Amino acid sequence: MNDMRLTERVVTETAKMTARGVQVHYGTNHALKDVDVDILDKTVTAFIGPSGCGKSTFLRCLNRMNDTVASARVTGRIEMDGQDIYDPRVDPVQLRAKVGMVFQKPNPFPKSIYDNVAYGPKIHGLSRNKAELDEIVETSLKKAALWNEVKDRLTAPGTGLSGGQQQRLCIARAVATSPEVLLMDEPCSALDPIATAQVEELIDELRAQFSVVIVTHSMQQAARVSQRTAFFHLGHLVEYGETGHIFTNPSDPRTEAYITGRIG
Amino acid sequence: MTAPAMAAPAKATSLIEPDARTRRRNASERRFRLLGLSAVGVGLLALVILLTSVLGNGLSAFRQTWITIPVTLDAAVLDKQGNRNPDEMKKVTTLGYGKLVQQALLDALVEKGISTGDLTPKEVMALLSKEAPADLRDAVLADPSLVGQTIAFPAFATSRIDGYFKGRVTRESAERDANISPAQLDLADRMAEAGLIETRFNMGFLTRPDASELRPEAAGLGVAILGSAYMMIVVLVLSLPIGVAASIYLEELAPKNRWTDLIEINIANLAAVPSIVYGILALALFINILGLPQSAPLVGGLVLTLMTLPTIIIATRASLKAVPPSIRDAALGVGASKMQAIFHHVLPLAMPGILTGTILGLARALGESAPLLLIGMVAFVRDFPGAPPQGFLDPAAALPVQVYSWTQRADPAFVERASGAIIVLLAFLMAMNALAIILRRRFERRW
Repeated sequence: MNDMRLTERVVTETAKMTARGVQVHYGTNHALKDVDVDILDKTVTAFIGPSGCGKSTFLRCLNRMNDTVASARVTGRIEMDGQDIYDPRVDPVQLRAKVGMVFQKPNPFPKSIYDNVAYGPKIHGLSRNKAELDEIVETSLKKAALWNEVKDRLTAPGTGLSGGQQQRLCIARAVATSPEVLLMDEPCSALDPIATAQVEELIDELRAQFSVVIVTHSMQQAARVSQRTAFFHLGHLVEYGETGHIFTNPSDPRTEAYITGRIG
Repeated sequence: MTAPAMAAPAKATSLIEPDARTRRRNASERRFRLLGLSAVGVGLLALVILLTSVLGNGLSAFRQTWITIPVTLDAAVLDKQGNRNPDEMKKVTTLGYGKLVQQALLDALVEKGISTGDLTPKEVMALLSKEAPADLRDAVLADPSLVGQTIAFPAFATSRIDGYFKGRVTRESAERDANISPAQLDLADRMAEAGLIETRFNMGFLTRPDASELRPEAAGLGVAILGSAYMMIVVLVLSLPIGVAASIYLEELAPKNRWTDLIEINIANLAAVPSIVYGILALALFINILGLPQSAPLVGGLVLTLMTLPTIIIATRASLKAVPPSIRDAALGVGASKMQAIFHHVLPLAMPGILTGTILGLARALGESAPLLLIGMVAFVRDFPGAPPQGFLDPAAALPVQVYSWTQRADPAFVERASGAIIVLLAFLMAMNALAIILRRRFERRW
């Protein structure tokens, strides 16, 4: 049944976010050089590349998390639905409600499971009353495939869950604000293989509702979950295209060298 | 290929017998451990000596010797008009009450059949504190209906008699003392046998105001405790919000540039500025320029606030820094504003550290005397400061300064009271430290 729906699903070709000529400097360090990427709607896009290649930096440009780094300077143009997200009139707070983020290390708030998920909707005023909020929490936890495990202990501390559960809680927290794009910065690097498989499955399900951008060190993971893959190297976007294409028939020798394990 | 030649057999070593090198290493480890242990021992010894000295000298300050005699409050003397109007009764001075008390004392001795020997009535009266008539007058003015009755009046014994019953004064020392004679001590012994004199717990040490040089037995810490409490209120109300706001700004919001570096260094330096310098600053600023009254708890509180702020800011910044950055990222990631991230997530996590820092800062402020000397809190204050808010501007004393001024006084009875005041101060400090620990535990449990 699930597979049926997967094949039925239309893969849109419309770009949700477009980046043109993005450059990032950290002080004097030129971390990202002239990156052009289109993030397609309802698609999983993977960013791969060796450590320090700029993939996380670029990810953090997409929801302006780089604003919190004092020395970071971003130039170029990133649009979301045709609107420049670096426009001075844009409030990064509103942007981040639309572009959710899941971090490398699970970082639940030291509060209850319920409060972790309810926090985003609360501060954005997405619910009018407690019943609505309860519903948001429940659907978010269900989307993150965590509901069945925690429904009887919503008041228990989120930090008391296992690593994989914590990461899914963080995904539920990000999903709760109904984002249009979900950014994931190596979401499985701190998880064991079983938890990783759960999260990967989850990513594939989330694709039905919004774009997912995932940074990963694991090429197998990129191949498993993504439809589009971008390969970064030394701050350059080397190659970007269909995941199958990148892994089977890369056009750039550096991509080939990386996926065959010769550089990285 | 030939097999590699066996390495020359190592010198035979036994695992049971440690070699010289290991022995040396172990010995140096033992030496270091011993050194640390003796350092801790020296510290503990110093603490024990301090505590035994303070407790040995000071505990007796909480007990006082009373001479209880029946006093007939003669209406003809105390209230000539006969209408029990306190305003009119105030015209009778302590001198009038003094005569009454003296007569009552002599009568009591006669009644008990105690011979006064060669002592003149004045010498007999010298057994009583000079404060006694004033206390009787206060009691009568507070309750005019006592006039005409005979009441059992507990009068403070003079500090020499008090000292005699506490073992501080002996017959040998009385020989050389202009204030007391062995004959008076004999009389005191006879009175104690007859049950007129007794030594018991003195609440007045905590509730009465300071008394003059000549009446150590009547001196108490009431004004000092109240003054210190008022100052702590001022310090808490001012330094906690200012300190926390400054720390949040510097740690979370301020750009990191040369100016904030300069501010940071200066705050660290301010924490090391000798407290008396703050006293000079307060004298110049609050009293000379702003014209605030001297000896006022408000001014004292302001000085101590200035002094405590760097401590609180440093502690608060340290605990803000200790909050993992991933929490900030998480909050910003779901679209919290910077303010929301700080107040909803960072500050609650930093709270135990902030509270501990604040209470330790307050404890330091409570024990500080030098800056208070300069703003006049060393003055002799007998009147209690009023209720807040006026009380913050009334003259008051402070606990550590009270210790200082009592140690300055000539009468040896004040040594005992200064030690007693130190005990009270230490009790407050320990209570505050305990509170800091309890609060920290409490907040930490809320994961």
